[in-house]
Amino acid sequence: MVPLSWYLVLSAVLFTLGAVGLFVKRNIISIFMCIELMLNAVNLSLVAFSSFLKHLDGQLFVFMVMVVAAAEAGVGLALIISVFRNRESVDIDKLNLLKM
Amino acid sequence: MMTLLLQTSVLDINYVAIWPMIILSISGIAVLLFGIAKDPVHRDMSMIGIVGFVLAGVATGRLWLPVKTVGQIRAFSNMVIIDHFSLYFFFIFIIIGLLTLLISASFLEAERLPVGEFYSLVMFAVVGMMLMAAAGHLVMIFLGLEIASISTYALAGYRRNDLRSNESAIKYFVLGSAATAFLLYGMALIYGATGSAELEGIRTAIIDNVNAATKQPVHTELLFLGAAMMLVGFSFKVSAVPFHLWTPDVYEGAPSSVTAFMATASKAAAFAAFLRVFVFCFVPGYGQGLHSAWTTSLETIAILTMIAGNIAALTQHNFKRMLAYSSIAHAGYALVGLIADDWQAVAFYLLTYSITNIGAFGLITYLAGRGDRETEIDDLAGLGFNNLGVSIAMLILLLSLAGIPLTAGFMGKFIVFKAAWQKGFHVAVIVAVVTSAVSVYYYLRPMVIMFFRELKVEPKRLPLPTGVLVTVVLSILGTFYLGVMPGRLFQAMENAKVSFVQSR
Repeated sequence: MVPLSWYLVLSAVLFTLGAVGLFVKRNIISIFMCIELMLNAVNLSLVAFSSFLKHLDGQLFVFMVMVVAAAEAGVGLALIISVFRNRESVDIDKLNLLKM
Repeated sequence: MMTLLLQTSVLDINYVAIWPMIILSISGIAVLLFGIAKDPVHRDMSMIGIVGFVLAGVATGRLWLPVKTVGQIRAFSNMVIIDHFSLYFFFIFIIIGLLTLLISASFLEAERLPVGEFYSLVMFAVVGMMLMAAAGHLVMIFLGLEIASISTYALAGYRRNDLRSNESAIKYFVLGSAATAFLLYGMALIYGATGSAELEGIRTAIIDNVNAATKQPVHTELLFLGAAMMLVGFSFKVSAVPFHLWTPDVYEGAPSSVTAFMATASKAAAFAAFLRVFVFCFVPGYGQGLHSAWTTSLETIAILTMIAGNIAALTQHNFKRMLAYSSIAHAGYALVGLIADDWQAVAFYLLTYSITNIGAFGLITYLAGRGDRETEIDDLAGLGFNNLGVSIAMLILLLSLAGIPLTAGFMGKFIVFKAAWQKGFHVAVIVAVVTSAVSVYYYLRPMVIMFFRELKVEPKRLPLPTGVLVTVVLSILGTFYLGVMPGRLFQAMENAKVSFVQSR
């Protein structure tokens, strides 16, 4: 059986990749995908813990996270579309109206 | 009433406990459906919204006495905990939600924006916030947070054709979701360390040092890492330094009435969940120094937040941006109450801050005029000459935000600082007092401009809309009531019952 720590390390690596991508990427859609990656990394931890602890709450948690991620995708993509309509660009660096 | 409170089945379904949320959800859907009618009448939709909030307030009030006798009501297998803590926050959210509807009505009409969606999004956000305050399980905190946040993302970008509103919404969405991911990772690690995702289970596991599922000792590294991740997530949500960078941009770009809602209700909700997890679960004396670790790091964060928020506010030219930095500073003051482990002080502080701030933002929605544009502080020039009433109202509210005696702001700060001083956080309290003295400067600057600078162009301002008038009057009355005679409220809070804290 694969030990718990392997899952946790994989999940931490995925989460870190997502977090780094959040700051490195310039395209809003890529940033959005990085957020999804972070959420799914957490899902992996939750499932691993749930199976290791023999406790179902973690599985339930994952379903809720997936539902919320879908809702977030709905609102997030709608916002990205409205930005694209107004600017014809999804580059985050061009969103610089609000500065001191 | 009392018979209904008994458990109705094995599943522990108890609709009475969640009446306020049910009422608000139904009226939110009703407003939404009304909005797609052929010629929706604004006034009717406002009425549905207002009635929904009032009924939710009544439902919350009717829960107060049962909670007083029973101590707490748990529903849906400990998912929802109704105690005086959650009811108190319900009242804050309902008042703020109601006042947000009132200040946004005239704005939406002037901008020809759809009303139904706006009102229903506010109501759904309030439902999410209530679930956060009443959460008994990590998944409920997460769900409530996301219901509230997703509604607020949409609200921030509500002026779809306005570039600034777009930008504000995107920034809020990206950083808010990232914060949620951090919070969620923290929740997962704490679940793994303690073997329970129920708040009470986590508390018991930490106190007994036994993993609830495996019966082995709690894994300390996982617990600390999880707590740190949750701390980061919550700090984002309450906009504490160094996780505050999104706040000024988002608050400036969003429609003013939405900014009012975000700066008050969203912040209070984040603090409610913060208190539930950190103060009620990570208790002093257990968990290998977990309590002292989180209080020490939060003390540093609070000090940085107060200093950075107040200093940055000094140099702002935009009124909304200035109030955004001021709200960062206020989050710092509330954090001082949080490290003192005193939920009453934090909750009272949030009430005073929210009541004052919603009035100030109500005036900004009015003063910003068409297109929500005139939000520079210089735009206020000469307001004292041509609209004395509005400028005096603004004066009172800004003085309360600065914490001048006789106002709510002073009382809130006094209670928080006293609690923290008694617990020995002397450095934090001294920094708080000094920075609030500094803050008087930037709160006074708009007043100087209002009263002592000639106006250049006669601004074309409409008469004050009724909704804004009502909000400002209520906000000023609340400011003086809480500032002069907060005794009754204090007494109610002293006797308040919080679940699973008194039991140990």
